[in-house]
Amino acid sequence: MARQLKITVDYNVCVGNAMCETFAENTFGLNEDRQSYVKDAAGDPEETIIEAAENCPVTAITVEDAETGEILFP
Amino acid sequence: MPHHAHDDLFAPDAIRDPYGYFGAWRSEAPVHWNEQYQMWVVTSYERLVWTARHPEYFSSEVALRDSRPPAPTIPEEDMELFAAVRHWMAARFTQNDGAKHKEKRKVVHGYFTPKAMETWRPLVRQTVNDLLDELQGAGRMDVMHDFATPLTYSIIAGLMDIPPTDRAFVKELCGQMCGFDGNDPSRIRDYAAGVQAVTDYLAPIVAERVRDPGDDLLSVICKGEIMGAYTRDEVLANALLLLVAGHETTNDLVSNGVLAFAQHSDQFDLLRTDPEGRIVGAVEEVLRYDSPLKSIQRVATQDVDMGDGQRVGKDDRVRWVISSANRDPEVFEDPDGMDITRDPNPHVAFGSGVHHCLGATLARLEGQEAFAELARRFEGFELETDPDRLEYRPSVGQRTLLNLPVSMQ
Repeated sequence: MARQLKITVDYNVCVGNAMCETFAENTFGLNEDRQSYVKDAAGDPEETIIEAAENCPVTAITVEDAETGEILFP
Repeated sequence: MPHHAHDDLFAPDAIRDPYGYFGAWRSEAPVHWNEQYQMWVVTSYERLVWTARHPEYFSSEVALRDSRPPAPTIPEEDMELFAAVRHWMAARFTQNDGAKHKEKRKVVHGYFTPKAMETWRPLVRQTVNDLLDELQGAGRMDVMHDFATPLTYSIIAGLMDIPPTDRAFVKELCGQMCGFDGNDPSRIRDYAAGVQAVTDYLAPIVAERVRDPGDDLLSVICKGEIMGAYTRDEVLANALLLLVAGHETTNDLVSNGVLAFAQHSDQFDLLRTDPEGRIVGAVEEVLRYDSPLKSIQRVATQDVDMGDGQRVGKDDRVRWVISSANRDPEVFEDPDGMDITRDPNPHVAFGSGVHHCLGATLARLEGQEAFAELARRFEGFELETDPDRLEYRPSVGQRTLLNLPVSMQ
């Protein structure tokens, strides 16, 4: 079973580029302000979520192992 | 309507001081109709971000949708050429909306991620050092011509793997295109000639790289054709877009920043106390304080209520002004002051939303390496000309110094 992830979006940084949603559409969506939000931290496979975070142009997304707190990205 | 305000976006006061001109509009009418150019002008931070993040109301298919004659006017005999230019421009990935835009942006997006760009830092640093080694002895430079443009052009030409022996020639051709959003009546002719010349130059190289792609940026664009996302015309239009936009905006970042530091020596002194620690904030503040891009145009897809009783009509031109949003007192304390420790600094120099600048990370990287090294080498800059005599290229979209002669201390 895949490990649980904790995904956070820094709203001071997010510019609403929506690349996270493009790469991992089951995990990320856009809120009312057209910034990224996590709709389901287990929506896509871990590698897809990491790829989505890597493709954020402003590195607004942090991905951690929910249990150990290990930072998986950035 | 603000006191003394006029509609002439090319008037000397609007070109010299866009902050004063658009700032006056922002404080009294943040969304207003410009009668002379037949377009809406959005000047507040809040309205800009809202507009940029609602691409379903404000289309980026500007070349296709904006069917009005060019403003300022061009000769009647150039209208056919203008139609051809619009058609050519529409082939850029940026001139798309929605799912089509996503598909076409994705081809090149991965090349520009922060993680991928970081691998180029040593190359940028080396290029900065090579240029400054040559300039340091003279003790003076024209920042735009001797440092900013050679730096940013050699980086993008290198990333695209343009053969080194061709680079000076290609740069000259690119220069023909810089007047597109200006007011010279012959600008469409010059622009079309530049597009034709660069496209003719790139066509055989593109054909070769579609057959046998490498890992350079031009090959990445060519792979867009291989995977079926781009036509050959789109490959060529995007290659030209990235070649030109890849240096003729970042050179403004470097030049405008040196000017800002020359005029705010306290901020350069502060950067010099800890270049490594302060460089990120310093570049963000340069981007906010004197942004390379002044404004961006969209076309309304439907009637839109903009608040304050202003109603944009379907197919209306809408232009949002980065320069005034970045000086909005509702968002930035002491907005007309330069403060490299400003934090947070949510400037919109790269726009916002799904069309946020593709090359933002490359621009930041080049700015960081350039200003950090300048801070390590020099105590300050002195303008070799009266600041009132500095000239900017007449342009609605770009904040480009024609020359910036300084001596270094």
